[in-house]
Amino acid sequence: MPVNMIETRNLTKQYGPKTAVNSLSLSIGKGELFSLLGVNGAGKTTTIRMLTCLSAPTSGEAFVGGFSCTGESEKIKPMIGISTQDTAVAERLTVRENLEFMARIYGFDKEKTAERVNRTVADFHLEEVLDQRAGTLSGGWKRKLSIAMALIGEPSVLFLDEPTLGLDVLARRELWRVIESLKGSLTIVLTTHYMEEAEHLSDRLGIMISGRIAACGTLPEILEMTGKTSLEDAFVAIAEGEVTEE
Amino acid sequence: MNRILAYSDRNRKELLRDPLSYVFCLAFPLVMLVVMTLVDTSIPRESGMTVFHIQNLCAGIAVFGQLFVMLFTTLTVSKDRAGSFLVRLYATPMTSTDFIIGYMLPMLVICVLQSILIYAVSFMISFFTPDRLNPLGLIASIPVLIPSAAMFIGFGMLFGSLFNDKAAPGVSSIIISLGSFLGGIWFDADATGGTMLDICKALPFYYCTRSARAAVRLDFSASACWIPLLIVTGCAILLIVLSSLAFRSRMKADLA
Repeated sequence: MPVNMIETRNLTKQYGPKTAVNSLSLSIGKGELFSLLGVNGAGKTTTIRMLTCLSAPTSGEAFVGGFSCTGESEKIKPMIGISTQDTAVAERLTVRENLEFMARIYGFDKEKTAERVNRTVADFHLEEVLDQRAGTLSGGWKRKLSIAMALIGEPSVLFLDEPTLGLDVLARRELWRVIESLKGSLTIVLTTHYMEEAEHLSDRLGIMISGRIAACGTLPEILEMTGKTSLEDAFVAIAEGEVTEE
Repeated sequence: MNRILAYSDRNRKELLRDPLSYVFCLAFPLVMLVVMTLVDTSIPRESGMTVFHIQNLCAGIAVFGQLFVMLFTTLTVSKDRAGSFLVRLYATPMTSTDFIIGYMLPMLVICVLQSILIYAVSFMISFFTPDRLNPLGLIASIPVLIPSAAMFIGFGMLFGSLFNDKAAPGVSSIIISLGSFLGGIWFDADATGGTMLDICKALPFYYCTRSARAAVRLDFSASACWIPLLIVTGCAILLIVLSSLAFRSRMKADLA
């Protein structure tokens, strides 16, 4: 397994005349939690889509676990998990059935499926909603289920696309605890609009502006680069072009 | 295979847990079965109108029920495409073949169960009509209905792949109207003759009811059963191939 779990080289995605991701070069280490920050339309979700083999790059290359996202997607898919912006769950299946379904999709046999479901239910404290249909869950529970479904296949890399979008503060804090508990055990790429979320959870941050990484580093490095005392101020300074990365 | 069965299970549960699927796929055809049997009792036997006699009606109602399974196939595929559930699954080891078979398999099983239930009720009704149904004919007709079920599921997959979740049910409704009318479920197409019969014969629906009715009568002649069945089987294969191509092409576009 390579030291860098994710690597992109001049990764570019164009939709007609619009360049959604522009020559993105990035390395994310094994076990690292990397946050992509940016305003709407900055290219965060498009980047995630390319890294999860959901979208083909227009040019450039992306590698996950040493495999190419364009030519070796069948090797990448078993080792990744994704929780999309919308809670992608089977609405009429119960929480348990959703988890069992995903485990079977990853090819687990009956015993392994039962073991993974029990473990995931315990890790995410899903016991009280286990036999409830996913469509009847609150937003917070749905997000938790969505992330649990992304993890049940024992991925090496987890992609969380705005996992706390639209959640109240308590549900958000609860999800932070879940994400924090995963840190170190797998590589996590998280996109978010929330500065405090990125500040709280990330090992490193990348700030995307108009499809480019405008700044990348640890929180102290970004603050030092911008001369600001908070991530929000640093983000605004970078977004407004006051500061550019050397 | 595990992935196909997992996806089939999911689709079966999604359909069976939707109360509307019982209303449309079971209750409505059964209500029509009872209503048309009552209509039949009001029609003098001397009139020679046999389309609502239970031995003809039961096969027609079985095909009518399959039309609604088509509608629910359309709804399942188009709704999945509209949400992000399929996107999540695209990022897993699921292949397009897993998706296609995973959609079709549970619908086919549901169609067979639906036919069994409709025939069971028809058999009971036949005790109250002048024409008693032969259970052997009903049993023989169930496998004969499988190609038409596959054809309608193919239609459902095709519309669900080509159209969005707003338009797809509307397009399916057109096929429901065409299928039930031009399939000769509600009138004796053979008795009409002329252009009307030509139109019926130009479409596959007529052959679905014709072959199923022949099997109910235990009439396995080429003209009554095998040739119509062959036509329906050909159309089913064509529709399944077309719908698979449409789904694959849509999946490829989604992943572009």
